Amino acid sequence: MAEVMKLPFWRVNVLTGLKGARVIEDPRECASLIRRAKRPLFVAGPRAIDHYFDNGKTSLEYVLEIARLVNMPTCATAHVKKRMLELGIKPDSVYDIIEIINHLKDPDWQGVRKEGNHDLIVFSGIRCELAELGLSTLKHFAPHLKTMALCRYSHPNADYAQPILSDEKWKGYFEEVVTNLQH
Amino acid sequence: MVVTLERDEVSELIRSEDMWEPIGPTPMPEIPDLRNWSMRLLKTYKPFYAPFCDLCCFCTYGKCDLTAGKKGACGIDIASQQARMVLIACCMGLSAHGAHARHLIDYLIERLGEDYKIDLGMQVNVEAPIARTVTGLKPETLGDLRKVVEYVERGLIHLVSSTHTGQEGSNLDFEVKNLHAGMLDLLVMEAADIAQIVGFGYPTSIADTPLVDIGWGSIDRTKAMVLCIGHNAASANAVIDYLRANDLEDEVEVCGICCTAHDVTRYSDKAKVIGPLSRQLFFLRCGIADVIVTDEQCVLTNVPEEARKTGAALIAASDKICYGLENATERETDEIVQEMVEEGKQFVIFDPEKAGEVAARVAIKIAPRRKKGFIDEAEAQELAKGCEKCKAYMCSQACPNLLPIQQGMQQAAEGSFDRLRSLFDQCFTCGKCEQECPRHLPVVKIMQSVATKETFKLRSGRGPIHDVEIRKVGSPIVLGTIPGIVAFVGCSNYPAAGDIAEMAEEFAKRKYIVCLSGCAAMVAAMKKDEEGKTIYEKYPPDFDAGCILNVGSCVANSHIAGAAIKVANIFATLPSRANYEVIADYILNRVGACGVAWGAYSQKAATIGTGFNRWGVPVVLGPHSSKYRRLYLSRKEEDDWTVMDGRTGQLVDTQEPTPEHLAYVIESKERAMVTIPKLCMRRNDTPQGRQIKLTHYISLYKRYMGTLPDDLHHVVRSTRDIPLVYKKEVMAYLKEVGWKEKPALSLPTLIGTYPSKVRPEAVIH
Repeated sequence: MAEVMKLPFWRVNVLTGLKGARVIEDPRECASLIRRAKRPLFVAGPRAIDHYFDNGKTSLEYVLEIARLVNMPTCATAHVKKRMLELGIKPDSVYDIIEIINHLKDPDWQGVRKEGNHDLIVFSGIRCELAELGLSTLKHFAPHLKTMALCRYSHPNADYAQPILSDEKWKGYFEEVVTNLQH
Repeated sequence: MVVTLERDEVSELIRSEDMWEPIGPTPMPEIPDLRNWSMRLLKTYKPFYAPFCDLCCFCTYGKCDLTAGKKGACGIDIASQQARMVLIACCMGLSAHGAHARHLIDYLIERLGEDYKIDLGMQVNVEAPIARTVTGLKPETLGDLRKVVEYVERGLIHLVSSTHTGQEGSNLDFEVKNLHAGMLDLLVMEAADIAQIVGFGYPTSIADTPLVDIGWGSIDRTKAMVLCIGHNAASANAVIDYLRANDLEDEVEVCGICCTAHDVTRYSDKAKVIGPLSRQLFFLRCGIADVIVTDEQCVLTNVPEEARKTGAALIAASDKICYGLENATERETDEIVQEMVEEGKQFVIFDPEKAGEVAARVAIKIAPRRKKGFIDEAEAQELAKGCEKCKAYMCSQACPNLLPIQQGMQQAAEGSFDRLRSLFDQCFTCGKCEQECPRHLPVVKIMQSVATKETFKLRSGRGPIHDVEIRKVGSPIVLGTIPGIVAFVGCSNYPAAGDIAEMAEEFAKRKYIVCLSGCAAMVAAMKKDEEGKTIYEKYPPDFDAGCILNVGSCVANSHIAGAAIKVANIFATLPSRANYEVIADYILNRVGACGVAWGAYSQKAATIGTGFNRWGVPVVLGPHSSKYRRLYLSRKEEDDWTVMDGRTGQLVDTQEPTPEHLAYVIESKERAMVTIPKLCMRRNDTPQGRQIKLTHYISLYKRYMGTLPDDLHHVVRSTRDIPLVYKKEVMAYLKEVGWKEKPALSLPTLIGTYPSKVRPEAVIH
């Protein structure tokens, strides 16, 4: 049983409650959760544009690779759309972070592909306070879906969260997820 | 039981026999009187909650876990608990402004008498648009302003009461009360600012107020210095009075942080603004202030400790903040001065005149013996070498902006300060990093080495918008040919300091009317262009297209709401007296205004924003404001956008989400740039006006998002709305998404779509 995380990297996001995220230490389990989802959605925020790993790739590029491998629709928040288009990828949807969360909490919403609401929402690159509070909204008001935070600072209000990772280990985590989804 | 004042009492309070306008349906409204209006807003703009805490800890049955559908021992659920927390915050904000107004008005009545006339000059006849509309009273004297405060105080008791355990149980009714608190807040702020304008002789009826110095670099450190922190300038102004009376103005620098700074520069253009509240600890630790005078609101609660560290003297001048200090109000001035100078004692002095005299005299005496100044890069480098490069990055973990402080320190230790310089731009200098640092590195002190020492120019607060300005811009605002009023308001908890100046200038260039207030107005001044000019030096200070104006301190925010009311009252000639719903409905449907509280941090800011929302003005909030827990959002595709056409009496499904949201958090400056022009659209825009608004929306969207907006089909009503410059590509897009023309209507109104005492014909003007 993985550890239930209460203290994220950023102390502002400390959990004041009883239901915290399950920390997914193993990237293979993370990949498995993504693969098993029927209608997942990847929500990418602006920090994914700005964050460069030492190999020159941004975290957005890993996000897009994961989405491509499992044909997962994407939602570009803030001004991420422009960067995605520059990378030659059209996002499946463009909502600001609050808007997409407001839609997701409605079980009758038909999702970005109009095939029904999503069952797993993967977040990456959202500003830390907004991500945590958005995840809180979904924890309380969207029991019909699960959330996953692919953020190296970790998020207690998600259902599944990455552990707190150094930059190098975060890159490794992404690469492991990608590798596992390729096979 | 809901009535606290009988009709006769209200009639007497508002002098109903004075027939300056007919009395509308809601004089001095209580919570139930505007409940239906609020519920109507909440039907379209539904509350969105982001719980900051899953528990309720208020009563001894708890702690109760409210996670995901669980209820507390009292029966409350998580949505209602969030709404309740927001109400508590709004009541804090309202009480802070209310107590501020109460103190100022009582103080000025004591000095000038309750019959002292309100005269805002030749350009301002509608002196108190909020008071007129909410209460039905046309304030003529300071005594009338006290009536306004008393009305607010009565309302506040009921609002606070409903937060007690076992009271309100509906999140929607909590929101009704939040909106009511917000309305009272803007009302009492208006009373406070009018009182200080007339009582202290602040500028009024002029737009071209003085350009004053801002920035710690503007301080002449060879002089004695009195630093005033807070929002209630009575004691700061008394320092000026003493210096003037004793011909000492050139010997003592009087400076301010936060809103007192705004107001003291309205009193004396020799006074200087240090900066917004986010620079408070930074500046205190510089030790440049010889005497610190605290008044109320947004003052650090550990000022006595910080003052002792640098040897600065301290006077606490408000009953809101006494710090456990001895009350010296009744003691002899000479004795107080002596003990402060010789023994370093800190005192509470409630008498502003005495506090002002003591502050000036102590500053002159202790200044020569004090060492003041910023550390240089060499000293900073030595201090930064103390960073042990801990693997936990404790400084970043504690930082409110999650800044990579350790990186900045490491580079500074190597003699490179560029990284630290950019961090300072995003730093609130809260000092939490120092607490968590295993070596308690003096990060805030090290920041002194990279803080700019430049002097900037800020236009002094101008108070109310002039009636003649409203007559000029009323028509283009309502028709949409002035694309909007954008008001940058609130505090300094923003993602980056330069954002506000950049956004304000962008919209001024695009011929929006740009208003600023509070710390937002200050931080907008602390950025120069290549020619060394700030936005206040580059743009005219009028309430007109392409201008940038500073209304003043927090309480002057009320004048921005007042301007919107004046458009309805002066331009459209709708009677405002006790006619809240009609005026708010007019603003919601016709006045393209958008508030931007990019750095809102306080409970007061939450209240102010909620007050604007009840007037029908949407507010964009910066990312930190998600911690307020509640927004008001629509879902443009799904929601019902039906209004009544006031001229035909027909209900019309406009299919047009304008304004789309009322309270909305945005993640990035870039996204804010595209959202603000959208939130300035209104149903009443003429095709020409909508074309102009769409031109800005499309061009900004293309700049920051790379394409045409994805929701154009929602805001293009007919082909006549489409800007010529984008016609071809917009038509192609509309064809692709199967767009159809939307119904046209001549007088959009929500009146008639919900139960109200207001008759639909009341909106016809």
